[in-house]
Amino acid sequence: MLTKAGLGGYAGGMKQAALLLMAASVAACGGCVQIQAPDKPIEINLNVNIKQEVVLSLKKDVSELIKDNPGLFPQ
Amino acid sequence: MTNHRKTLSAILGATLLLGLAGTAIGQSASLISQALAAGEIGEQVNGYIGFRGTPSGALRDEVDAINIKRRAIYTALAEQRGKSPDVVAATAGCETLEKRVLAGRVYKLNDGIWRVKGAGPIALPPYCVPGDG
Repeated sequence: MLTKAGLGGYAGGMKQAALLLMAASVAACGGCVQIQAPDKPIEINLNVNIKQEVVLSLKKDVSELIKDNPGLFPQ
Repeated sequence: MTNHRKTLSAILGATLLLGLAGTAIGQSASLISQALAAGEIGEQVNGYIGFRGTPSGALRDEVDAINIKRRAIYTALAEQRGKSPDVVAATAGCETLEKRVLAGRVYKLNDGIWRVKGAGPIALPPYCVPGDG
């Protein structure tokens, strides 16, 4: 009886602690989740897309530049 | 007879000069290729050769000279195409890392870490466009 009650009380305490922790973390991150998640990935993707197009447009010229100046690109 | 001698000595002199110039060029080329082979210098994703450690004065001069000339040809192409020299340099970085860095040589990506190229291709940044397109 005594042990059961003791265990029950302990488990109840754990539940309470877990609930408190969840509530605390939700409260703490309520603001930052909204700010961080949507913005950053979109920015990075845009940058990559722009750069890739520019790199693609320059690729042939740069390749010829390297072939024409072998002394500047030692292996 | 004297004319022949003059011509002969002129030829000899020219040969000697060419030989000396050739030696100087050969030395600097071997300084660079030795440093490449030793992993002291390597290609970087920014389109320039970089130092992995602290180089000797002679090596630094050679690499600096190459990088300055690279900057000049990148800038010339950038002006022709209406792009920034840095974008041309980045494209050259993609090209050199994809096609010119030999296995066993060191290279540096945007994370600043020097790595040794293995048998497979280098994992290029997402803006690079591998292939011959």
